[in-house]
Amino acid sequence: MLKKHSLPRATTSFVFLILLFIGVGLINSSFLTLQNIMLNLNSSVIYTVVAIGIAFVIITGEIDVSVGATLGISAAICGTMVRDGNPVQGIIIALLVGLFIGLFNGFGVTVLRIPSIIMTLGANGIIRGMIYVYTNGKWIENIPLEFKALAQAKFLGIFTWFYFATLVAMVLIYLYMTRTRTGRYFKAVGDNPNGANLLGIPVVGTKIVAFVLCGLFASIGGIMYVSRVGFITPIAGNGYEMKVIAACVLGGISLTGGVGSVIGATIGAAIMASISRALVFLGFPSDYDNTITGILLIVVVVFDSVLQITSAEKVRRQRLSAKIVHAEISTPEAVENEK
Amino acid sequence: MSDKVHESMLSVRNIFKAFTANIVLKGIDLDLQAGEVLALIGGNGAGKSTLMKILMGIYQPDAGEIYIAGNQVKLSKPSISLSQGIYLVPQEPMLFPNMTVEDNVIMGFKENPKQLRKRLLELMEQLDWRIDLSRKAESLSIAEQQLVELLRGLMRNSRILILDEPTSSLTFNEVKSLFRIVEDLKKKGISIIYITHRLSEVFMIATDVAIMRDGVITLNGPVEQFTEDMLVKGLLPENAKSKKLKQKAEAIDYSNAEPVLTVDKLCGHGFCDVSFSVFPGEILGLAGVVGAGRTELATTIIGRDEVLSGNVFINGRNITGQSTRKVMDNGISYVPEDRFLNGIFKISDVAANSSASNLNNMGHLFMNFNQERELTDHYVNAFRTKVTGRSQEMGSLSGGNQQKVVIGRALAIKPKLLILDEPTRGIDAAARGDVYDIIQGLKAKGLAILLISSDMEEIIELSDRAMSMYCGRINKKFSKNEITQDSLMTAAFGVAEEASNA
Amino acid sequence: MKNNTTLLKKKVMRWESFLVLILIAEVFIFGLINPKFLLPRVFLGSINNFMTICIVSLFVTFVLITGGIDIQAGSIVGLTSIFIGVLWNDAGMNLYVACFLGLLLGAFCGALSGFFIAFTGVQSMVVTLGGSFLYSGLALMVTNFSSTESYKGISGFPKEFTHFVKGRIFNIIPNQLVIFLVLILITYLLLHRTTYGRKVFLCGVNQNAAEYCGIKSKLIIMSTYILSGVGASLAGILLTAYLGTAKTDLGKEITLPVITAVVLGGTSNLGGTGGVIGTALAAVVIGIMRFGLSMADVNTQYLDIPVGILLIIAVAIRFAGTNPAISKFFNKFKHPLKR
Repeated sequence: MLKKHSLPRATTSFVFLILLFIGVGLINSSFLTLQNIMLNLNSSVIYTVVAIGIAFVIITGEIDVSVGATLGISAAICGTMVRDGNPVQGIIIALLVGLFIGLFNGFGVTVLRIPSIIMTLGANGIIRGMIYVYTNGKWIENIPLEFKALAQAKFLGIFTWFYFATLVAMVLIYLYMTRTRTGRYFKAVGDNPNGANLLGIPVVGTKIVAFVLCGLFASIGGIMYVSRVGFITPIAGNGYEMKVIAACVLGGISLTGGVGSVIGATIGAAIMASISRALVFLGFPSDYDNTITGILLIVVVVFDSVLQITSAEKVRRQRLSAKIVHAEISTPEAVENEK
Repeated sequence: MSDKVHESMLSVRNIFKAFTANIVLKGIDLDLQAGEVLALIGGNGAGKSTLMKILMGIYQPDAGEIYIAGNQVKLSKPSISLSQGIYLVPQEPMLFPNMTVEDNVIMGFKENPKQLRKRLLELMEQLDWRIDLSRKAESLSIAEQQLVELLRGLMRNSRILILDEPTSSLTFNEVKSLFRIVEDLKKKGISIIYITHRLSEVFMIATDVAIMRDGVITLNGPVEQFTEDMLVKGLLPENAKSKKLKQKAEAIDYSNAEPVLTVDKLCGHGFCDVSFSVFPGEILGLAGVVGAGRTELATTIIGRDEVLSGNVFINGRNITGQSTRKVMDNGISYVPEDRFLNGIFKISDVAANSSASNLNNMGHLFMNFNQERELTDHYVNAFRTKVTGRSQEMGSLSGGNQQKVVIGRALAIKPKLLILDEPTRGIDAAARGDVYDIIQGLKAKGLAILLISSDMEEIIELSDRAMSMYCGRINKKFSKNEITQDSLMTAAFGVAEEASNA
Repeated sequence: MKNNTTLLKKKVMRWESFLVLILIAEVFIFGLINPKFLLPRVFLGSINNFMTICIVSLFVTFVLITGGIDIQAGSIVGLTSIFIGVLWNDAGMNLYVACFLGLLLGAFCGALSGFFIAFTGVQSMVVTLGGSFLYSGLALMVTNFSSTESYKGISGFPKEFTHFVKGRIFNIIPNQLVIFLVLILITYLLLHRTTYGRKVFLCGVNQNAAEYCGIKSKLIIMSTYILSGVGASLAGILLTAYLGTAKTDLGKEITLPVITAVVLGGTSNLGGTGGVIGTALAAVVIGIMRFGLSMADVNTQYLDIPVGILLIIAVAIRFAGTNPAISKFFNKFKHPLKR
């Protein structure tokens, strides 16, 4: 049957996450302790934040492969300023940079009509180069302990404050995107941009906002990176774009747009973070991480797509066969009576 | 004139619109009263959709004024048009496929969802329409999707509804229920612009009629003042000669003929129990309304869809269920119904479009470009296709010329049987005549032709024999002298006795 | 509308000459900055620095013409490299047999992703994203079979293997340049002169219509991914020979430059138009730009900036013709309303 909401898809991802924990826990029971589970979730916080941001863009039917670089440059800027004793300034400027990158991408995609994959691929290159210009290719170290401690601070002794805040943000964004008028625009624009335009929904504006939010969240990810990791290399955030896109897809967000939720993105990010840790607990080298992620990603999307295609074909066939009259009935009146 | 502007729900005055050098609208004047159903007819490229897009605020006119209820308005974007009470139900419904019906209807409103839902339920109660609000839009039939579109328009308290060819993909019963709805709306005082290609519908539903041709309104007035013939004349270009007298072709002697194609009790998705034969040198017309299963029959024969039971023979060889390539190699060529979706390669050139079906014969590994040139020139010359050259982009040709190229491509594989699916849909009258000449010429050369058409006159003019399809079955077969507008029409709409075994 | 499309076509026709102009300008400018740049040995030898991008982008062009995208080619480069290294070094296989198996492996990787893309209707972006994880993960797994530490890579290849790639004809023309020219010729013939190439184009323009013309579009689409897989493997083998080291991460950073080269070369990422000559020219334009800038003492880490800018500007210009906002702006000057 056809899925009514995107939530069930996120639910299957959630079930998968639980099965992952239980399955690995059966082999190595120390994986299934509360402490370890929380460790897993808390360690997924940067993926989660960036995935929530990129979810806006993907749901509107676009893509942003510059989030890793945005995270990197925000981390570099924030890192140097925190190191030099200006944490507030550092955070604000990092956020402004993320906002500006989002605006830049959004402008290119909507006004200049450059396909988003190309636009953000180009932006990715530019920002990566900028990181080297800014840092001179040097590592940023000596982040003050107080700042690093932020990432370790716990709420109720289990969640880190970072992860807790991210979850709260996720819930708020979920409510915003499903319950409010402007929040629903994102899905509408991704689902059918022409239809949205006909209803007077500002397609261009919505897409720009999505890119700006995506840039902002990538910057927040960068700031958290400074605190969690404690040092910033010029290649910080490399490959994050692919990881978070994979997280979104695993969480049931369709790259064609219009389907999925930030809850899915969060679950997907948790899966991504858990797989590498699970491998360690199973005694595999963490080298297998990418292999498993790749297989999982392909299996999930292929399965989803086949399911969708067969159900659409079934609907088409049902509709077609419904049109055939039975041999004994051949007048329209009879057909109507039958209905 | 200003009086009329004040009385009317909608008036447009002297609208001009050009795209680069191409002037699409050349001074349009139109008035629409409350409760009026204005049928707007005209060929493809006449400018109807451009005018509608201007009313929806998608395009801006280069010159001219628009008045709504006597006040001049500037429709600079869709949201302004919507707030003025204009709503367009597009030909292909523009729903959000992944959202529920309810979300689809209330998308873009400012009020809170609960109130909206209440209003929506009241509205549906009032109209006595039933549709499950929690269904996903992608699971709806086209008719149901149009219903949702109408609900959207009515929820906005629209005063002016534009229906763009609403019946083009509806089944017979769905058309009937749509007409009931239009009658309801008419009574409520809602003004409707009803765009259609079907002249019969004009007299069934419209109060007024306007014909558009080449960017001007050529004819406008209450529907009672016109007959179908007058409308047909209004659609034809002024310099077009009055219709040629139909040559009554000799009835073909079938006594010694061997059929090219034999279809035996074929069942597929959308049709069942279909049996017929096509002989060399004849045109077999297949009439029926859109959605009767004719296109499904054709696509199943050429191997694009699954055969459920039955057999297809070409010259006695069983080709049931073979791939499209094999079916084509066995001598069946198909000209698809939907030219844009399945027929043309829009951004490729004329030569590439001409040779696309025949690539395996254009050299074993390397393309034989000489052969491609010859092939292209041959059909361009034979069909008098208007092109600037072989390298002209297909998308820049007119519909008629595109169709000629597609027919040429289908012939390039030297088929024994040609299936033409709605060969003249959406092309102008002059090109239509050309296509008819081409078809007659092919027949004279001994090609077997299966002509699928919803245009009864087309079937009458061209066919040697005909059959009609109704709800997935062949319900009547006609010999040459039995083919009349009446008999075809009654059969196509299912008002016929059981199929005779012709 | 009509005029726009023909205008665009003319623009694309002129695109290759435009690239040649850029190339000449580059040579001129870099020659002025650093006269050494113009020494034939230096100038021609620059190809060695960007050969991988040149080869991979030639083959990825096929994928983009069918309307897809391929971001897994870089992973296949690394996978092939380590694969032949391990076969030769640890399994004791004849090196040339190993290279042949490497090409087969690339074909297989491409076929796997291509199959899912063509036959299950999943977006190429998602499948090749999964593929890039999977194949880079497999590359890491392959290293586990090696006695050598993975970060060091496998070296010590026989001289004739490395010399063939490093060598120069008459001590001036690098063999890699000859290989590149041969590959351009082969891909040009395949794409623009064979019936297969024509089918690739037709599938990119309108897959439905191609099916109605009896073209097995799914096989054609799948085959383009096989081609790009083989191309990536070939690039991997050549790069291994040139560096004398087999490593997993050889193709890590090529996704941006490859897509840039293909798109800058005039191939639309929406499919249907483009060509390998443009791609080859664009790849050289990018390569020379990077090489020339680095000879002009610009830090190599900065070189993504001009590449990214070039990509965005080039695509913005090419899309300007179809952008109503922009063409409307120009129409105001060109076609004042007559009546």
